[in-house]
Amino acid sequence: MLSCGGGSRQVTLKWWQFWTDPDIKPVIEKMVADYEAANLNIKIEMTDLTWANGHEKIVIAFSSGAAPDIVELGSDWIAEFIYSNQLAPMTDMVSKDTSEFLGWDPGLYNENIYAFPWILGTRVLFVNRDLLTKAGFEEKFIPVNWDDLKRACFAIDSLSDEIYGFGSNAAEKHRLYKKVLPFFWSLDGRIISQNGKYAVFSSDKAYKALEYYKTLHDSCSIVDTQRRLEDAFLEGKIGVIISGDWLLKRIKNEKHNINFFTTLIPGPKFPGKSFAGGEYLAVSESSAYKQEAIKFIQYLTAEQNQITFCKANYSANPSNKAASQNEFFKSDANLQTFVGQLGLSKMPSPAPKWVYIEDIIETAIEDILFNNAPIAETIYSANSKIQELIDSQ
Amino acid sequence: MNKGRWSGYLFISPWIITFALFWIYPLFYSLFLAFTDYRLLRKSYHLVGLENFKNLLADQSFLLALKNTFIFVFGTIPITTTIALILALLIERNFKGRALFRSGFFIPSITSMVVIALIFTNLYSRGGYLYLLAQLCGLTPPANGFLLSNRTALYSIMAMDIWMSVGYYMLLFLAGLKSIPKELYEAAEVAGANYIRKLFSITLPLLKPVALYIIVINTIKSFQIFIEIFVMTKGKYGSSTAVFFLYETGLNRFEFGYASAAAYILFLIIAAFSILQFLMFRRQTES
Repeated sequence: MLSCGGGSRQVTLKWWQFWTDPDIKPVIEKMVADYEAANLNIKIEMTDLTWANGHEKIVIAFSSGAAPDIVELGSDWIAEFIYSNQLAPMTDMVSKDTSEFLGWDPGLYNENIYAFPWILGTRVLFVNRDLLTKAGFEEKFIPVNWDDLKRACFAIDSLSDEIYGFGSNAAEKHRLYKKVLPFFWSLDGRIISQNGKYAVFSSDKAYKALEYYKTLHDSCSIVDTQRRLEDAFLEGKIGVIISGDWLLKRIKNEKHNINFFTTLIPGPKFPGKSFAGGEYLAVSESSAYKQEAIKFIQYLTAEQNQITFCKANYSANPSNKAASQNEFFKSDANLQTFVGQLGLSKMPSPAPKWVYIEDIIETAIEDILFNNAPIAETIYSANSKIQELIDSQ
Repeated sequence: MNKGRWSGYLFISPWIITFALFWIYPLFYSLFLAFTDYRLLRKSYHLVGLENFKNLLADQSFLLALKNTFIFVFGTIPITTTIALILALLIERNFKGRALFRSGFFIPSITSMVVIALIFTNLYSRGGYLYLLAQLCGLTPPANGFLLSNRTALYSIMAMDIWMSVGYYMLLFLAGLKSIPKELYEAAEVAGANYIRKLFSITLPLLKPVALYIIVINTIKSFQIFIEIFVMTKGKYGSSTAVFFLYETGLNRFEFGYASAAAYILFLIIAAFSILQFLMFRRQTES
């Protein structure tokens, strides 16, 4: 059989992915159909996963030798698959793309590329303009550093008992630490040393970041789960929250009438740094069609496809640098904030035991915020536990 | 005759095969795994002897989960059983609207646990009805709601569990009450016994088998508390329990060897409690 592109052998690529949202699924199906039409020897067999149990299914599939050829992975998950030799290196075929895409860190190991960044995500500040004005700030005020943020949150909080300055996250797994680490990273803090051998979390930077966040948390915050904080923000009860582009989509889809703006996460001095993560595409080591799989990944992540995807999903952070320069992002101030913030964001280093390290950091933050544990002792103890993990690797 | 016996086995074989494949085999395989360092994604595993058990007994998060499970079991079972018994005694009496009350108390038992947990998550949150009720009663609820506080999270879930379970156990007690011969009460009345005397001399002694059944199944159920924790707190705010620990270790971290060892410790605890309860009740019944 003749084909327009690629080789001539008949290939069925199994692809597991998470985008089941009715806004985006048809877009992905169309991309797949277009690819199949242009590559007559390739058939894409797409399987939908859910965030509730997708990770579980992927791990079981890889463990039982039934892995798909291509799999979508969250940035936090990639390390465990790389270190268990389940992913195929794609360095030779994609190294030419490295300068054109953002967010390679989670997929890198031993100078090899194991996962291709697709749709990234970061968090920014969402600020209620009306509350800010009511609290006496001028029309164009934007909090650009820690002092500004604190001043704004305290002033809004003093408006009434029903209004809160800052939305502080409750102890939700995988969420709380992503809201606190930006303050640590804004001080250029590190959790593990550059060479990966030492835990360096216990530092004056961690102390200052946690002390600052705790001040907001204790003095001018409502503490709740992310979803409920967003509900309260949309009801006009919170002045400032940290959230991702899913909130922009929600405001748009649910037609919320709220006077808000988004801005970069402040640091002690402008600018600060945020937490970044995202969706990655990887090829299974056991795949018989690695080249075809990588080509399909390159197709999905190409500039035009990323723009189409982001438009359909109202996503703010394509990994493709050229795509992020598209008019769609430039014409929307809030999307532009996310594009700007991504350049000022950090992803956790891919450590083999990251899932445990995350747990240690999260527990330390919870102890400090909710049990009033002393900051210095708690971060010292967390650091020792992280070091133990590194030593046991 | 022989042919009939084989055809009997043939008819029950689908169930036997399913039982052996999906219950018996995993049961023994997980016992084997408890002595290994097996985890998913790793290509090989080793026998580690009692290492998993030793590590578990030094693991603070497992010990906290175990402690919380015991608090849950000993905190809920006596209260649930007592309230269920009182409700059964009240409902058994003839009064107008009895059927309505009986159905009302039973409805939570047939409602989805997830739905109940979500409703209570709202009731317990800051501004929720239970939160406001506590304030109206002059109490000082935790600033961020009952579930976001180490002081109250576990106890709030326990309270919900009691509310949810009493209806079911009430119905079991009602069935037990119906099975007590009326002649015994008639004879006691002839002898001049009042309600209290009849309660302690006839009703409660004859309800012992039902009470044993209720306590045993409630103990097993309470040791396995999971859905409430998963939906309401995800084990945060000091509310993790043994089965939640199993879930986290087995299905989030995929450390099947370690999780299997934890499961067998829990299994031994539940078995020990069930045997102890049977022995205690048997001794009392015999005496």
